[in-house]
Amino acid sequence: MLVDLAGGWNPMLGRLAWSQIPYDNPILAPLFVAVVIGAVLVLGLITYYGKWTYLWKEWLTTVDHKKLGVMYILIGLVMLFRGFIDGLMIRTQQAWAVGPHSSGVFGATHGYLTPFHFGQVYSAHGVIMILLAATPLLVGFMNIIVPIQIGARDMAYPYLNALGLWFTAAAGALIMISLFVGDFAHNGWFGYAPIFELQYSPGVGVDYWIWTMELLALGTTLGGINILATIIKMRAPGMTWGRLPIFVWASLASNVIALTSFPALQVALALVAADRYLGAHFFTAGLGGNLMLYTNLFWIWGHPEVYFVILPAFGMMSEIFPTFSEKPLFGYMTMVLASMAIAGVSWLVWLHHFFTMGAGPYVNSAFSVATMLVGIPTGVKVFNWAFTMYRGRLTFNAAMLWAIGALFLLLVGGLTGMMLAVPAINYMVHNSVFVVAHFHSMLLTIVYAIFASVIYWFPKVFGFKLNEFWAKTMFWLFSAGTALVFVPMYMLGFMGMTRRLDYVFNTAWHPYLLVMEFGIVVYTLSVLAFFALLYVSVRDHASNQVGADAWGTSRSLEWLTHSPVPFYNFAVLPHVNARDEVAWRRDNGIDHVQPDHYEDIHMPNNTGVAIVLGGLTFVLGFALVWRIWWLCAFSLLAIIALVIYRSFKGDPGYIITAAELEQMEKAAMRREARIGKQQHRVGSGVLGEAIAYARSDLPSLASQPGSTGGLDHRS
Amino acid sequence: MSHGHDDPTLHPEVQMSTSRGYFSGFAISSILMFVATFLVASHAVPPFGLLMVIAVCAGIAIIAQIYFLLHIDVSEHNIWNTVALVLFMPLFLITIGLTWWMFSQLYLRTMIMPGMMH
Repeated sequence: MLVDLAGGWNPMLGRLAWSQIPYDNPILAPLFVAVVIGAVLVLGLITYYGKWTYLWKEWLTTVDHKKLGVMYILIGLVMLFRGFIDGLMIRTQQAWAVGPHSSGVFGATHGYLTPFHFGQVYSAHGVIMILLAATPLLVGFMNIIVPIQIGARDMAYPYLNALGLWFTAAAGALIMISLFVGDFAHNGWFGYAPIFELQYSPGVGVDYWIWTMELLALGTTLGGINILATIIKMRAPGMTWGRLPIFVWASLASNVIALTSFPALQVALALVAADRYLGAHFFTAGLGGNLMLYTNLFWIWGHPEVYFVILPAFGMMSEIFPTFSEKPLFGYMTMVLASMAIAGVSWLVWLHHFFTMGAGPYVNSAFSVATMLVGIPTGVKVFNWAFTMYRGRLTFNAAMLWAIGALFLLLVGGLTGMMLAVPAINYMVHNSVFVVAHFHSMLLTIVYAIFASVIYWFPKVFGFKLNEFWAKTMFWLFSAGTALVFVPMYMLGFMGMTRRLDYVFNTAWHPYLLVMEFGIVVYTLSVLAFFALLYVSVRDHASNQVGADAWGTSRSLEWLTHSPVPFYNFAVLPHVNARDEVAWRRDNGIDHVQPDHYEDIHMPNNTGVAIVLGGLTFVLGFALVWRIWWLCAFSLLAIIALVIYRSFKGDPGYIITAAELEQMEKAAMRREARIGKQQHRVGSGVLGEAIAYARSDLPSLASQPGSTGGLDHRS
Repeated sequence: MSHGHDDPTLHPEVQMSTSRGYFSGFAISSILMFVATFLVASHAVPPFGLLMVIAVCAGIAIIAQIYFLLHIDVSEHNIWNTVALVLFMPLFLITIGLTWWMFSQLYLRTMIMPGMMH
């Protein structure tokens, strides 16, 4: 042992002891019972219906990018719910524990949460919402949509894709188990030096935080590499850079950020781990340590990270507005340049998270100007969306409503962001709930774009539409909740209320806090509306079925293939003729041309290695948290052995023959015909130059490096 | 789908890598790490000189790892590695340079001198 541990340690169980299980906590103990009963119920139902083989073969071992994306989104939604419950708890505590006369229960002097427990709740809320809700939801959508939009059969590295998912799942499991075994960090989601050092946080909470974040960083980096390689190398013939859908461009920009910034987080956390495990002094208050260096390193990742999550949301909005405006996107080139500009500037602004460090007027001015620069490309995007809708044939369905909601919240969040970019204002409202309200406006922009995308792309993935009534009900409830929670929060920020208060000393703030509590109740109703949406949509799925082009006004390539998308995506890889290929085919009357013959397809095999590696990383994380060194060594060696084994074994893949393919395609086309929205007009009105599918007697354009250059302005 | 059937060992970046390259990269970075650790542990050099020596060791280690382990160079048939280098250099300069600038300004105002923090 290089460091002194409070509470003892033994070689067998490390720091683990019965006293670490919070069975005496009046909130956690009943929750634990409920979770156990729920888990037994779910596992029992799976066994009763005999679905284990199906689950293992179709989902747990899959390398299909669509199924992995769906599982990413499921993890994201579950964690979004958990993060929401944390938010509900924070709001309730702050509405309750106001003034010296407020009552207290469950061992708390005021309210129902002790300060230590409250610290864990807001730390978990932040980590979960940003890294385990927003990130998996967005990565899930990129996983599903990017390969179909560029006309690829799968990601560049299907096995790596599965690995990224299971690392994310392992991290989610690690943060969830911290509820019932030990405790979680109380240092906020981004951590403060030196409070996370061992002498100030002797428990295991900070260790849970470190290894959860490290696992998520690893999973997201792997995912980023995969999406970048897919976009660069796997585009269909004719899909030049100038024809890429904007969502793909946004994913590219976003994953360039992920690939370059996540290592900074990994280094920062590894140094914290060195302090806590090896007794180093990188971020301690004395002995040569530097507190602010941690903040600096963290935000070198942290600010690019927030653009990593906002850029895919921008891409989603850029897909949804044109579809429901029945117009091509306004200003395609400026949209591409704006995405890349945001990605570039993301590296130059991180000091604005700690203007108050006191680096002086020159440094603060430089970073202030750099931060304001972000407003230019973002403004370009907002105007482009506005001009896309201008004089379009607008359809105000649920997806469009969510996208417009995102646009308005972006304005609120963006303009308050401009205010915060001014160091003079920033000194006034630093660490106030004004800042909290600002970044919640930005994060909610992402949530709005995500729900818009759930509704927009759901029919593509599952073959039927979600219920419009419940989707709109959820939208209005969610928007009412947003207004009721965050308008008072902006006001309280100006009144000087600081963030993370477990006890609110100023009773004059009580009315505002009660309005916010009412807002979170409205949010809860919107969550119930979401469950109703899922239930009603699945119940009525037979009457809501759709064909390939679910919305009838779709524009990009993913709407060319069948809904639900077959596991091989495209029976014959399409030849891309224009930006907005599906709209172009519809205008030129070749949208229903089917390939005249099929060829064998080479597909990757499923593998159980990825989920086993995910399980082993969870064991490694758990062992590191509790310092069970033999288990660390065992799981680490198992991981290394398994990676080497898989690398030498490789995957030869398997072949779908042309005959099998034809059968599956015929079944899919029969489905389309039964739905009746599509009529086959094979070969009618084909223009002279139009190419629907790549011909096997010509060299594939995608394999020629030259075809990737040059921007095409035909749209 | 043509690349799906290619033998991955025939790719130029795989062809270029040799076990000698990997071992040299590993050996050079290990030696530099041990030198740095030894100097820190033995207090053989005054604090400011120690910072300089460690920084130089780290710089050499970075270059060795980039060249031997990541195969990033400016050769023509490894165009994507060159792209990675072009992306990496400005980011490296930004993160290190701006950090150095903001902390030197901070130290100026809080009168902390590097090397005297004991």
